[in-house]
Amino acid sequence: MSHIHLPDGILPVWLWGSGYAVAILVGTVLLRLVKKEDLTRRLPLLGMMAAAMVLGAAVEIVPIAYHVNLTVLSGILLGPSLIFLATFIVNVILALFGHGGITVVGLNTLILSVEGILGYILFRLFWKVLRRLTPAIFLATFLSLLASTLSMIGVVSLGVSHYEELIHPEGKGIFEFHFSKEKEEQHPGVATESRVNLKRFIAIVLPLGFIGWILEGIITTLISRYIYKLRPDLLRLESEPS
Amino acid sequence: MIQLSYLDYSAVEGKSWLHRRSPAAKIIGMVIVLLGLITLRSLPVLGLLYGILLALFFMSRIPLKIFSLTLYPLTFVVLFVFISGFQIPFVLLIFLKVLCGSTGVVLLLATTLYPSIFRVLGKVLPSLFVTALFLTYRSIFILLNVFEETQHALYLRGGLQWKHPWRSLTNISNAFGHLIIQGIDMSEKMYESMVLRGFKNKIHYRGE
Repeated sequence: MSHIHLPDGILPVWLWGSGYAVAILVGTVLLRLVKKEDLTRRLPLLGMMAAAMVLGAAVEIVPIAYHVNLTVLSGILLGPSLIFLATFIVNVILALFGHGGITVVGLNTLILSVEGILGYILFRLFWKVLRRLTPAIFLATFLSLLASTLSMIGVVSLGVSHYEELIHPEGKGIFEFHFSKEKEEQHPGVATESRVNLKRFIAIVLPLGFIGWILEGIITTLISRYIYKLRPDLLRLESEPS
Repeated sequence: MIQLSYLDYSAVEGKSWLHRRSPAAKIIGMVIVLLGLITLRSLPVLGLLYGILLALFFMSRIPLKIFSLTLYPLTFVVLFVFISGFQIPFVLLIFLKVLCGSTGVVLLLATTLYPSIFRVLGKVLPSLFVTALFLTYRSIFILLNVFEETQHALYLRGGLQWKHPWRSLTNISNAFGHLIIQGIDMSEKMYESMVLRGFKNKIHYRGE
């Protein structure tokens, strides 16, 4: 839900092209902030967390078309620089299994890393303020998912004119043929009805997303509590919770 | 994702015409399919492309169990159908693009050994990225084994019961927590053995 599941060829080239350009730029900057030895040492951990994210994404909650991402948890465990590379890898693998096209990987990386990086920052912030693990993790997860879903809606809305072109082809595209000749004969009122309906999309995504954010918030909190019981060092907290 | 092992099995054991083609040729073929998906907007042409990919799928004698993997992405695009206000041509366009993309990728993965794919990718992409991709791909299989064991343990001990949703949710989360801790422990061991073998930020692939 919080990343784009659109196939290749639906988003305009300028949009996914810029997604790749910005993702490469941000990734290069973030990875330069990590020491080379630290990066080498943590590569297997990055691989494991990315694999856990892929497995989480494979468990789909069909009625609400939602799957857990575990991005916030991975962000907390990996830190902001490595989570960016991890989300890039995860999106490449997910794209191979149809969770969004290969061309959308750059945009999805940006959206999912908003979730991971924001999750990391918010968790640290809430931990400092609240000093309690459960509300800190839950709030960080919920708010990060909200932010990434809004980013996804923003990105999808940038391509509206392109979707309209696809819905009502006018012979501009490469290898393009009219599916039917009805378009020219359509009644003006019908044409307005059949325009891209972003409001309807948002009206569906947000309520379903809300259920998903709460569910993922609970799951992430419970997993974190389990990790805290057995390996508190992994969460790199400054002091014990009250 | 469980079918990932079938993909590997098919890539290793398959003896069809497509299995014998070079990985580079198949990757180029996939890039051509991808370019087609970006540029094509005609339903008949996309239908033809899907037909060709389907024919290749069945000619390659890939296990039928894997075919469901090509249909799985449809569940996610349903939401985007609402954008169009249920315009049939748009819905068909999206569905065909999804099916062509997923069938192309499954064809590539089910007929090519994954180290061969990584070797080709290593020539064009940064080594750090390819190494991370390789480690993630390998970790998926390791975690799948732990996941299956944990899943069995949960079922045998009655850990998943619809009558007790909260308890089930806690148990699922604990299972994921267990999976992550086990994964991290394994990743530490993996790193130690990689360093012993002289790992320096890059994995070198030997020939088939």
